[in-house]
Amino acid sequence: MAARDEMTVAATAPRILLDNVSISYATPRGRLPVVDRVSLAVDRAEFVVLVGPSGCGKSTVLRAIAGLNAAESGIISVDGKTVIGPPEHIGFMFQRDTLLPWLTVRGNIEVGLELAGVTSTERAARVADLLALLRLSEFHDAYPAQLSGGMRHRVSLGRMLAYQPAVMLMDEPFGALDFQTKATMGRELLRIWETERRSILFVTHDIEEAVALADRVLVFSPRPARIIAEHRIDLPRPRNLRTLRASPEFAAYTSAIWQALGDGDPS
Amino acid sequence: MSSPFAICRDQIKEMTEPVTPDEMIPPGLGREQETASGSGISIWLWRLGLIVGLLLVWEFSAGHLFNEFWSSRPSLIGERLLALFASGEIWRHLDATVSEALLGLLLGALVGTPIGITLAKYRRTAEIVDPFVMGLYGLPRVALAPMFILWFGISLLAKVMMSFSMVVFVFILNVTEGIRTVDPDMVDLMRTMRAPKSYILRKVTIPSIIPWLIASFRIGIGLSLVGAVVGELIGANRGLGWYVLRAGGQLDTTGVFTGLLVLMLVAMIANQIVFLIERKVLHWRPATK
Repeated sequence: MAARDEMTVAATAPRILLDNVSISYATPRGRLPVVDRVSLAVDRAEFVVLVGPSGCGKSTVLRAIAGLNAAESGIISVDGKTVIGPPEHIGFMFQRDTLLPWLTVRGNIEVGLELAGVTSTERAARVADLLALLRLSEFHDAYPAQLSGGMRHRVSLGRMLAYQPAVMLMDEPFGALDFQTKATMGRELLRIWETERRSILFVTHDIEEAVALADRVLVFSPRPARIIAEHRIDLPRPRNLRTLRASPEFAAYTSAIWQALGDGDPS
Repeated sequence: MSSPFAICRDQIKEMTEPVTPDEMIPPGLGREQETASGSGISIWLWRLGLIVGLLLVWEFSAGHLFNEFWSSRPSLIGERLLALFASGEIWRHLDATVSEALLGLLLGALVGTPIGITLAKYRRTAEIVDPFVMGLYGLPRVALAPMFILWFGISLLAKVMMSFSMVVFVFILNVTEGIRTVDPDMVDLMRTMRAPKSYILRKVTIPSIIPWLIASFRIGIGLSLVGAVVGELIGANRGLGWYVLRAGGQLDTTGVFTGLLVLMLVAMIANQIVFLIERKVLHWRPATK
């Protein structure tokens, strides 16, 4: 009976659901509230971006969904199941590439495949596919230290895709890259996402990046994080980021979000 | 806690935290360049020149500037060395000292590494025992030599324990520090993919401490030889330390220098072996000059 209820919930529920979630950190001077009663939902195949000032608690929300931090109150669920530890089929990307420096590009991508339970006979073909998808084929035997920052991020993305996640949680994944590489990575991500749509919750403090990528942008307040605005980005897909950035709609969205963030406020 | 290892930690930091190169380096090129470059050869030429120069100065100043009784001279040392090899006497001493040091070093690694892992995992235990570990570490272990002779006799074991007591702390402290510097983001990333603990240990923790282990072996070589020689100075009937002591007692400076030379060569060869292992095991590291 309970199992059937869970099934029906799972079929209709959003991929990610946060209901009134508050999180605080223990510090020597008492508890520091970081996230304040946040509720949000990410649907299947939806690309949601969280923007907000640095250090506002966006990463904490993402880590809580991945089961790395516990919520203090409220409920977090992924696919209808309450998050206690890391849920199934979650892909995570940090701002740093977190590749294992002692493994080659192939070895790093295989980590994702191994943990997804792909048999060793199937792995070779899957690695080849992913490397082709990410335009890294020539570099399969290179070590991370031999790659540029942008390539390392592509390998990192490849490892996440290899794990076949239903939900991708990306914590400022391209934040450490230079402007041009960041734009390229954004394009690659959209290209991949548009062919194989998964749910993405993406954190950034770059508003243009947010508008360029998102179906929906949620704006967070300074710490403790609350959602202070929500914008649905009705720009057509597939998006051509180069022409998009020049369009008046794009400018309208970015300025609206700037405003929501309290643009120009010196405090 | 860290001062004796500050240098080696910096080295390791350099090894494990590659600077982000903005331009792409084709795979493999960086490493090949390092080994194939001419600078390696010119360094060896300089070394050879330096040693030959020093030996010549030594050879020709002895007997002219000062009495060669105090300093011996390279030709005499060379002769003695050949004689030791010709008679085969050298093997008796070399065998003793090298096995004492090697067993001490391996025992130190075998005991020190798990202790280091435990101290890194159980922070509370580490905090409790820290002053005691540091106290023992700070204790001049040379002073323990008489006790070791008392407990273990003039046996191999006494010298192995001496050598072990010198080395074990290096492994404890380095491995503890190594595990504490394991990148938490890497571990978290594995956890989001629901990796089992054993998988994280195998793919992240162990590879992260290997550079620290190799650094420990490097530092440990010298210390384990010190331990072996100190053990021999207190009570032995063979070994390079014993040879040096006996030669000194007979005012045989050539013998003293010959013993020291052989000890130095042993340390250099051991260091080179560790270097070769390091290059093989840590080939993923960016090539550094």
